[in-house]
Amino acid sequence: MPEYTDKELIELFHTADRKHYAFNLLVRKYREKIYYFVRRMVVTHDDADDVVQNIFIKVWNNLDSFREDSKFYTWLYRIAVNESLSFLKSKKLHSYLSLSSPEASMIRAVRDDNFFDGTEIQRRLREAIIRLPKKQQAVFNMRYYDDMSYDQMSEILGTSVGALKASYHFAVKKIEQSVTGI
Amino acid sequence: MKIKHTISKQDQETDNLSPQLESLRHNESGYKVPVGYFDALSPRIIDRINEKDNKVLSKSGILVFRKPVVWAPLMAVAVAAVLLIFIVPPKTNQIIPVYDELADINMAYDASYAEEVLLAESYNHDKEIEIAVNAIPVTTSVSESSDLTEDEIEEYLKDQDIEIEIITEY
Repeated sequence: MPEYTDKELIELFHTADRKHYAFNLLVRKYREKIYYFVRRMVVTHDDADDVVQNIFIKVWNNLDSFREDSKFYTWLYRIAVNESLSFLKSKKLHSYLSLSSPEASMIRAVRDDNFFDGTEIQRRLREAIIRLPKKQQAVFNMRYYDDMSYDQMSEILGTSVGALKASYHFAVKKIEQSVTGI
Repeated sequence: MKIKHTISKQDQETDNLSPQLESLRHNESGYKVPVGYFDALSPRIIDRINEKDNKVLSKSGILVFRKPVVWAPLMAVAVAAVLLIFIVPPKTNQIIPVYDELADINMAYDASYAEEVLLAESYNHDKEIEIAVNAIPVTTSVSESSDLTEDEIEEYLKDQDIEIEIITEY
């Protein structure tokens, strides 16, 4: 498979007969990164699969109008964050009908998940992340797992670098308390 | 493909993770996916996109009829048709003459029809004469064959109170 830059792939996408080919390459390039980000947010594989498909369908529908004043990766991640938060919001709305909170049902999902084979400490880490407020969860995952810089995060989330640093700091403190029991 | 992000030294200092969290940071998170999931992801997304495109196309035909510009005239015609059929009473006493030229031609070549027409015409002609005779009831005792002189006739008419001038003019 030839290595294309994002810019080249977008140009290729704009040529009518190469549209599917370019899109396929874009999906292959970012599928794992996006999947794991979403999976950390929504927890179960089935939910993550739905959200990831919706993200790439949005990319397909909107890539023609994508303005290259921001990087494709930043734009893609912004869609991923918004789709994940929307999904969690809708899940929260549905949970009003059931007796358990969405966090409790997600923690149960981690314990019952056939597609989770982490260690006990990893499971506790997962549960601690689930208990964070949703936007703080996104900040923590982007920084802790995806090694994203605060500038990039700021561009994606539309929040100041200072606010992001503070958010991450508080998230780390809460998680350390949960994981280590300190 | 591994995407690397550059984290500044200053950023790393602010992270200030405990050793335990630091050790977990770059390990796998424990999440697995079904075998072959990522290979099948792209075709599945393309399938969904095509499915949506087809749905949009098939819906567009229905959507055309949702536009008032399209259905309003059709509806007006349908309502008008219903009104004409069920509400406006038909004019039963009005006979609409239908002239069938071809039927006339055919009948002209029909010998029996021609005979009928001739009979009817002669019958009507006789009837007309009969009506005319009845309309002027002239009672006369004078036979047509009698050879009367003019004076005798005038005298007779005077006896019948008929003006002689009218007769002579006629």
